[in-house]
Amino acid sequence: MYKRTLLSLLLAVYCLILPNAVHAQSVTPEDKTNQIRDQLITNIASRVAQLKLVEKRGIIGVVTNATNTQITVNDSQNNTRFIDVDELTKFSNPDSEGSFGISDITNGTTIGILGLYNKESRRILARFVTVTTSPVIIHGGVTAVDNAAYAINVATEDGKQMTVDVENLTKTYSFTQETDYIKSGFSKIKENYNIIAIGALDKKNKDTLIATRIIFFPEIPSSPKINSALENVQKSK
Amino acid sequence: MKKEQFILYLIATLFGLLVAGIAFYLFQTAKTPSNNPTTTVSIASPTPTATPSISLKVDRPVDEEVVDNKVLTVSGKTQSNAVVTVITDSSSDVITPDASGNFSTTVNLDDGQNTLEVISIAPNGESMVIKKTVTYSQEDF
Repeated sequence: MYKRTLLSLLLAVYCLILPNAVHAQSVTPEDKTNQIRDQLITNIASRVAQLKLVEKRGIIGVVTNATNTQITVNDSQNNTRFIDVDELTKFSNPDSEGSFGISDITNGTTIGILGLYNKESRRILARFVTVTTSPVIIHGGVTAVDNAAYAINVATEDGKQMTVDVENLTKTYSFTQETDYIKSGFSKIKENYNIIAIGALDKKNKDTLIATRIIFFPEIPSSPKINSALENVQKSK
Repeated sequence: MKKEQFILYLIATLFGLLVAGIAFYLFQTAKTPSNNPTTTVSIASPTPTATPSISLKVDRPVDEEVVDNKVLTVSGKTQSNAVVTVITDSSSDVITPDASGNFSTTVNLDDGQNTLEVISIAPNGESMVIKKTVTYSQEDF
């Protein structure tokens, strides 16, 4: 009787404890294959993550500092960006005759950078650095038209007032729901029209834009924000 | 006989301990966190800001993208009654969005870096601008 009880108790303990231990100890070929497969998956995932960490990117920025190994720029979103430079980086300047290198890059120069962006360090390893010029785009409302001087006064939403010089080469376009986007002329521009002017700032006067393109919208008035911005500017003066 | 009895007691004790251990484990896992005295923290609601009358989202292209095709598709969403102007360094286009506010157009890129400016203008004159840099390059590095 005791023997039978003893046996049944032993059997119960065996059933409760031993199965896991037995499983843990015996390594079958299938388990080994699974281990190798898991290891391979981990390695591949790690390599893919590494590859995804770097991507091609191109930015435009104004140089704030330049050394032999690094250029610091302020990008178009006004963020400070750090650019690494190495022996493979190529420098160019369309306006430069002869060789052009890192030592020729000075603070305030606008450059285009094409390189490899590291998502972890957030730095770009430059492969191509080019001195570039981007057109200036102003958007606002027409406050005055000077027919004699072929100039337009434009006020922007941030309270700036600019003079837009219209040259012979300036292309003028207008947009209305009826006519769509068509070529137009300086004489069609009226006060309070919504306007976009694209060009370059006059070197002698930073408040004057020499326009290469003008797009105006006869059906759309100046932004209501412009008047309040102009009022605020006048109050602050 | 006594030896058998001793072994039996020993195994019974071990079994009892095992059952008690399992019961304790189950009790611990099923236990709910005790109710600590809570303090009510009032968070002041943010000052409401004026809702902008115009919204603009440019889905394509992605900022700082490098492409190997000179023809670039620009697409996004704005107000359905707005006028969208897409300006690059050398070209510009004015389009109107569909009834859902979606818009799409193509522009030609110059070599190297291109500044792309998308301006959405509402009928009342208010506008919203999104600026992106797109680089055309076929260089392999």
